[in-house]
Amino acid sequence: MLSVEAVSKTFGGVQALRQASLSCATGEILGLIGPNGAGKSTLVNAISGVLRPDTGSVKLADRDLTGRGPEECARAGIARTFQNIRLFKELTVRQNVEVAHITCRDVRPDAADRIDIDRLLAHYELDVAADVPAGTLSYGSQRRLEIARALALGPSLLLLDEPAAGLNETESETLAEAIEAIRRDFGCAIIVIDHDLRFINRLCGRLCVMDQGKVIASGDTEEVWRDPRVIEVYVGQTS
Amino acid sequence: MSDSAETIAARPSSTATRAGNGQFRRSLVGGPVTALPAVVIGLAILAFAPAYYTHLALAAFVNLIIVVGLQVFMGNSNIANLGHSAFVGIGAYGVAVLSTPLAMKKLSIPNAPFGLAFVELNPFIAAVLALLVVAVLAAISGKIISRLSGVAATIVSLALLIIVHSVFLNWTDLFKGNQAFFGIPKVINLPAMLVASVAVIVIARLFKDSRWGLQLRASAQSPQAAAAFGIDAKRLRLMAWVLSALICGLAGVLFAYFAGTISPKLFYFQQIFITLAMLILGGMATVTGAVTGVIVLSIGLEFIRSIESGVTIAGIQLPQLLGLSGVALGVVIVLCMAFRPGGISGRLELDEQLSRLFRRNVR
Ligand SMILES: Nc1ncnc2c1ncn2[C@@H]1O[C@H](COP(=O)(O)OP(=O)(O)OP(=O)(O)O)[C@@H](O)[C@H]1O
Ligand SMILES: [Mg+2]
Repeated sequence: MLSVEAVSKTFGGVQALRQASLSCATGEILGLIGPNGAGKSTLVNAISGVLRPDTGSVKLADRDLTGRGPEECARAGIARTFQNIRLFKELTVRQNVEVAHITCRDVRPDAADRIDIDRLLAHYELDVAADVPAGTLSYGSQRRLEIARALALGPSLLLLDEPAAGLNETESETLAEAIEAIRRDFGCAIIVIDHDLRFINRLCGRLCVMDQGKVIASGDTEEVWRDPRVIEVYVGQTS
Repeated sequence: MSDSAETIAARPSSTATRAGNGQFRRSLVGGPVTALPAVVIGLAILAFAPAYYTHLALAAFVNLIIVVGLQVFMGNSNIANLGHSAFVGIGAYGVAVLSTPLAMKKLSIPNAPFGLAFVELNPFIAAVLALLVVAVLAAISGKIISRLSGVAATIVSLALLIIVHSVFLNWTDLFKGNQAFFGIPKVINLPAMLVASVAVIVIARLFKDSRWGLQLRASAQSPQAAAAFGIDAKRLRLMAWVLSALICGLAGVLFAYFAGTISPKLFYFQQIFITLAMLILGGMATVTGAVTGVIVLSIGLEFIRSIESGVTIAGIQLPQLLGLSGVALGVVIVLCMAFRPGGISGRLELDEQLSRLFRRNVR
């Protein structure tokens, strides 16, 4: 589904990505982890078109999206959430979801038909708040709305940038179940970034570990955790 | 995240399209409700008020159409526009040049270029052509403005105003310079003005509630998120800019056809400032806000003007307070910005406020 090859990106001297590559198949949940500043969000930005990579390529189902803008990536079926929540604050909760659904209807009408906004809102416990401005929601609800809005795009690739940040244990438990359910029902490829390793380990079959802009390991979750480089990065970080 | 998940994506349904139609119908109803206060006041003036007030009402309705036009762009894109009077002026001068009787033109613009001194079009056709000119100029200026953001766009709109104004002033062969352009056929009366106002309010509501309006409002609130959801903000800003310009142009056309005489200074800073004040005071997020602002400030300013010229209360002659209306206008804007930046009517349209009130009372 998604294949990212040797993507590099420099911000005025800081090399945020160095030849980073990864791939993610339909129906797979890939965990993208690494210490702060490793380049995870930058990689997600390069995939979703927010940033134009200096070198390397991004392909979605054989369609070359390298250097294409965010609008085009969205229309190609890439949906995302933001690490620092970016809702349409003064639009209602329902309108936030509708905005994504309008684009979906334009480019994938059949997928749009399968998405029922009322059910989507109800499923994410947002139905009671459907008519209030999104900016007035509680933090947890805003995080859920970010996901609901991304789903209304009918994506074939879903990028979740730290969806569990700031959630308590039961909340992230429910979130993990919800993401699992998304994989089942929407059959899309999912990439999850998070620092909560328990959350990541229970959710992801495969991991991709980044450090200083490089992908230092990737593979099955258990295998990756046996990799000495990964252990070094994580043990080095905690000690 | 309650029930088992297969429900979210399961049932194939056409809710989406149904929701779209429902929205369309709701704003078709919502538009006239939004216009209601203006209609009531307008009808009251038509029925009861002395002629002096008819003239005030004309100014108020012209302002109403301009402010609603302004709302279409500013309210949805959240970019301040300081150039809309350019389009009002182009509409007005457009019909003046195209429809004024030849006999009049011989006196006023005998040397008009392109043979325009010998053109006398039917007022309706002249209006259509004038609006066409507005549309073309709006499309060109909009191309530039829609690429910019925030302050830069505002400054370009201001530059547009200044350019158009100096063309009116200096192209004397065509526009008569700063002298009044008279003899325009007076084919519009107050009832027609009222109808046009309602139509414009309904159009503004339809746009705001349409998918384009929604997408544009989304992009104004988070450009990054909007782009990440496939929204082409530039195209939508251009669309709103042109629609807004057409509505302002229509205000100019109607004004010229009502007053019969126009001059460039009518379409300059004074008008920009007062209409902007109306929109901000009423609340630019909604069409209801535009209507509210026009009503409140029109009445308020008229009241102040009557004091300004020195009134007699209980036999005591108060002194003249020249300039009071200007001061009051400024104070109102400052207070409004400080204490109620969303304006009087806030986030909801009148029909939405009413239906909320109704629901609460039923419960
Ligand atoms: N727009 C930008 N301009 C300049 N530098 C940037 C920009 N975005 C990211 N960086 C830098 O690139 C590096 C990688 O940042 P990135 O946000 O991708 O890390 P991350 O892995 O997502 O970290 P975190 O876990 O803290 O979110 C950091 O050194 C950061 O300072
Ligand atoms: Mg990050």
